[in-house]
Amino acid sequence: MDHEELEIEIDAAGKVTVRTIGIKGTRCLDVAEAVARIVGRVESRQLTEEYYENDVQIQSHVDQRLRRN
Amino acid sequence: MSTVLVLATPLVIAAWPTLTAVISAAVGTLGFAVSQKAVPQVRQVRDAVNRAEIEVEDSEILEGTGATGEEMVVERDGIRAVFSRDARGSLKLCLEGRDLSKSELKQLGEDLIGRVTQQYVYHRLVSELKERDMNIVEEHVTDDQTIKIRVRHL
Repeated sequence: MDHEELEIEIDAAGKVTVRTIGIKGTRCLDVAEAVARIVGRVESRQLTEEYYENDVQIQSHVDQRLRRN
Repeated sequence: MSTVLVLATPLVIAAWPTLTAVISAAVGTLGFAVSQKAVPQVRQVRDAVNRAEIEVEDSEILEGTGATGEEMVVERDGIRAVFSRDARGSLKLCLEGRDLSKSELKQLGEDLIGRVTQQYVYHRLVSELKERDMNIVEEHVTDDQTIKIRVRHL
């Protein structure tokens, strides 16, 4: 079973990095930003390859259904 | 599975009693200890001591918490660091010492502020995440003093 997890790093200067793991779709951005906002201002966002791969998988699934019809 | 990185600049917003608890914990990581001695009002040898001041812009010490005029003094090897609330309500740090230059004191002050911010952020995050039913499943401190925690939704 997949768990929804967050990896949080707080460096020696207090800067915070939040990484989501196992949170599907664009909701991962919402979750990460909500956690970051607990302690300060969101400075930047970086969507990794996995974020975009998820969108590709959704597109592929839709195409298959269209072909069957 | 989606992954995203979000970076945040911390804001230190706290009541003075909360902040003093955080400062006590944080300065120990740099070898400082809280001093019980009062800050002398008139110094006998002003010229022999170097000084540096740092105001933490991204901070706010909440009013109505007895903060006015409050100070917290920490010391290490003849270096004295005084945390206080300035006129604008921000956290201020003054350092003085004979054996370090002004720039060295300034750097040390930045390091102290960084550790205080780190401890504040850690405690705030942990308490907020618990309220949101997030459970810490792993936690460690790396060689560069970064705190890494992994939390899981219950």
